[in-house]
Amino acid sequence: MNRPVYLDHAATTPIDPRVAAAMAQCLGMQGEFGNPASDHEFGHAAAALVEQARARVAASVGAAPREVIWTSGATEANNLAIFGIARHYREYGRHIVTARTEHKAVLDPCRELERHGWRVTYLAPDGGGVVHADQVAAALRPDTVLVSIMHVNNEIGVIQDIAAIGAVCARHGGARLHVDAAQSAGKIAVDFAALGADLMSLSAHKAYGPKGVGALLLAQRGGGAGTQLTALQFGGGQERGLRAGTVPTHQVVGMGLAFELARAAAPEAAGIASLRERLWQGLASLGGTLRNGDAARSVPHILNVSFEGVEGESLLAALRGRLAVSTGSACSSALQEPSYVLRALGRDEVLSESSLRFGLGRFTSEADIDAAVASVTEAVLRLRRIAGA
Amino acid sequence: MNYSELTLRYFETAVGAGVLAGPDVHRGAAGSRARGTWVQFDVQVASGDIRAARFLAFGCPHTIAVSAWVAEHAAGRGADRALPQSVQELSDRFEVPAEKRGRLLIIEDAWVAALAAALQR
Repeated sequence: MNRPVYLDHAATTPIDPRVAAAMAQCLGMQGEFGNPASDHEFGHAAAALVEQARARVAASVGAAPREVIWTSGATEANNLAIFGIARHYREYGRHIVTARTEHKAVLDPCRELERHGWRVTYLAPDGGGVVHADQVAAALRPDTVLVSIMHVNNEIGVIQDIAAIGAVCARHGGARLHVDAAQSAGKIAVDFAALGADLMSLSAHKAYGPKGVGALLLAQRGGGAGTQLTALQFGGGQERGLRAGTVPTHQVVGMGLAFELARAAAPEAAGIASLRERLWQGLASLGGTLRNGDAARSVPHILNVSFEGVEGESLLAALRGRLAVSTGSACSSALQEPSYVLRALGRDEVLSESSLRFGLGRFTSEADIDAAVASVTEAVLRLRRIAGA
Repeated sequence: MNYSELTLRYFETAVGAGVLAGPDVHRGAAGSRARGTWVQFDVQVASGDIRAARFLAFGCPHTIAVSAWVAEHAAGRGADRALPQSVQELSDRFEVPAEKRGRLLIIEDAWVAALAAALQR
């Protein structure tokens, strides 16, 4: 049986076979299965691999190895950044700035802090999904301790001008900048230091690495102590006491190699962008199609389109067995609610619900794109006919 | 979202999707596209019996599947206002999730409106 065409790489990617092989070397009796915290040969060998992986991840995103804190993924990294900063700097202020279009892994921690007395400003993006640096500047207050703005939006693929926002935060002095880079690291060039971010969340599985591992970058620039953080979990002192728990050697080795391979594969972005435009041109020929997000500022691998005259759940159901895509973000697709990201861009409820996010990847072919266009065209025309549209 | 085999079959085939024309055709609609669910039925009534029915639906797979089933099973029935099965029976038959049962009421409203138009003649 043929599997559907997979165009959901923004939700997750398959593990690169080279990454899987490297991970497997850390699992069995003959491999480096030791606890990296153990003081014997097995532990030392595992620890060496962990540090090699740390260096690989750091090098791929313009960070220093000591700035990498392993986590279970970007969601944990976001939580550690937001709660960790909020708790550490609570005597300085209890105000946070973020955007309405952030991932739930940022919005939900912010809402939790609101329940405990913090104030949060949620910036509205423009119609293209862009949050501007001057909006951030206007929102900053003397008691602002954190600004959290994602690098690339997970639904529409729009790239934010993090360097400009970082400059605004630097001028403020007290506001640390956290950047959720789950959709950018490993997909486009990311330079932690040059962007001026104080914290950055990374995910392995969005970049052909394994699920269950990620990292938080914590800036340690200059001669001082750098950005400080209060730990959220305790019980072993790993990761300089900032994230307790045995470091999973195979997972971080996978992430390290995946990020290193992503650097080498940077030229593939132009090819993916070409495929994305082929996809858009094919879908646009249907008529009644609206491209969501500022196309001039979007990553190559994400295309988000609303289809007039069809209902979103039916569209997704009509594509079953032929095409794997998302409506809204994968984490909230099961809820069948209109995308809050598209609503924030000004799309009405029906168009927000009738959107598809196409996520292209390293292994996507022209044949995949053509098959996707054919499947969506057939489904949309059929549903429009049923709806009398 | 998981769907029953019956729901998928009627959603995928959408038998009876379309409109009818003619002097003995009556139309009723309910719901709103802007609110996510809209259903229209055309019924052809002669001598007090439904000869044919067609539907249009903008909505979720359950909405389309149930509307198709209603249109298919209406032919040959008397032109009273009742659905071929009650909303509860349709909900059970198509395993409609509780949070979606309001959409079956829209289908019922559209059906009742079409039959009301026929009975007024």
